Amino acid sequence: MTRLFIEPFQAGYLQRALIEAVMLGVLGGIIGVHVVLRRLEFMADALTHTVFPGMAAAFVVGGSLYVGALITGVLSAVLLTLLTRNRRVTSDAALAVLLTGFFSIGVILVSRSRSYTADLTTLLFGRVLAVDVAQIVATGLTGVVVLAVLWALHKELVLRAFDPEATAALGYSVTTLDLVLNVLITLVVVSAVRAVGSVLVIALLITPAAAAQLLVRRSVGRMMVVAAAIGVVGGWLGLVVSYEGSIHHGWRLASGGTIVLVLTVIFVLVLAATTALGAFRRRALLKEASLPGAARAVTA
Amino acid sequence: MTTAAEVPALVLDGVAVAYDRVTALDGITGTVAAGESVALIGPNGSGKSTLLKAVLGLVPLQAGSITVLGQSPETARRGVAYVPQQEALEAEFPISVSQVVVMGRYRRVGWVRRPGPADKAIADEALDRVGLSERAGDRFGTLSGGQRQRVLIARAIAQNARLLLLDEPFNGVDGTTQELLLGLLAELRGDGVAVVMSTHDLSIAQVACCDACVLNTRQVAFGPVDEALTAEHLHEAYGSNALVLVSDGPFPRA
Repeated sequence: MTRLFIEPFQAGYLQRALIEAVMLGVLGGIIGVHVVLRRLEFMADALTHTVFPGMAAAFVVGGSLYVGALITGVLSAVLLTLLTRNRRVTSDAALAVLLTGFFSIGVILVSRSRSYTADLTTLLFGRVLAVDVAQIVATGLTGVVVLAVLWALHKELVLRAFDPEATAALGYSVTTLDLVLNVLITLVVVSAVRAVGSVLVIALLITPAAAAQLLVRRSVGRMMVVAAAIGVVGGWLGLVVSYEGSIHHGWRLASGGTIVLVLTVIFVLVLAATTALGAFRRRALLKEASLPGAARAVTA
Repeated sequence: MTTAAEVPALVLDGVAVAYDRVTALDGITGTVAAGESVALIGPNGSGKSTLLKAVLGLVPLQAGSITVLGQSPETARRGVAYVPQQEALEAEFPISVSQVVVMGRYRRVGWVRRPGPADKAIADEALDRVGLSERAGDRFGTLSGGQRQRVLIARAIAQNARLLLLDEPFNGVDGTTQELLLGLLAELRGDGVAVVMSTHDLSIAQVACCDACVLNTRQVAFGPVDEALTAEHLHEAYGSNALVLVSDGPFPRA
């Protein structure tokens, strides 16, 4: 048993992958709670596509992928916030136009490269096992900034998510709060995109938070703690499973994909467990309350 | 604080608002004193919500002026509480009743800092006042419509607001809760809080308010309920549908 959990992380590249996956689990889980509560899933997905041309451009000119993704990511976060305020364009249409527009630039840039397929695969699916120290430092610093801002603005962001009209009535600028949150989401997406790729990054934000929402009913803060824990477990277990499967069973499990798959399984298990528990509780309540007459009324 | 009673809670003077050059509100003029209450009556799209937003300083005025508690709407916000329609709030949101009430303290608490014991005590007291102390730890979404409305009013009490703006407070509320809400609003008015509520229920307007503002984009009438809610004014605001309302309604004929 210990072999299963310790052996994989003796190799340096897997240690680095684990550190990166744990940090992304925490970050994705916590910011994901805002994404889920604000129903920004589509908008977060759009951001994962709009960072793509920045990475592609950086790739072509040989610059830092991180900086490239950051530039187009923040630019699109600002554009998205402003566009969704425009009453004449519905926000979903605005998002769709922007994300495909940005993505097409990325495709054009990457297809100019000679190693087109290999490059595209890296950008779309990420390489968590190729994470280097510089990347870990970048993710760590980004994480500190994101968590500090989320902590400082926690009560305002929760208020805005719960009751936007009262937020404006109290004199807060809803647009400014939205802009800050969108930029923070972008920062997390940019950090995560090199590890799991632009296709799967959305799962790190949505899946742990969606599972946490099933478990925590009365506190956004606690929901964040649970989501972060699920994100960490998913990152670690995903690496263990992909290592075990690839080294000892010859299955060749892609690490990024396995992490997301583990998260999905956790979500399904939580959903099944909470649904079963809810049904069990309802039945127990009915039994408790059931005089013979009440039982008949229930079955009728 | 002695001046609070003398300064009117709200003064509207020829207020006009336009969205994209389409007039949403025109010629609204009237005064609401401390402890008074006004019902905004009019069909959908008549500008009730726009007027509430204008009082909060959230939409620019095309003409006229609004004075709230002797100040501009923007600077008076701290003393003004907005109570949204409880139906607009997400029932699945993971938040407890006491957390909702303490939101009324946020502006006083300020940026970055968290509500302290004093703020929590004020919130508890406000929740006690609306009779929902025993539900403090429950999720907001598990409450009934009327109970949610009372929690939102508790939030306004915790804010220590002098002017209460309510958007359709009696929507989705059963008869018993209606009585409770009416009693609560009367109590607040006794404390000198002014109340402005939008409603399309004329009988509620008569019981809950001393004044009424009948509007259909422009102001039809503004004054004591008996004088404002006449068949003639309602016909003007609602068109021919008003005839049905008039024949059912308990309000006095013109």
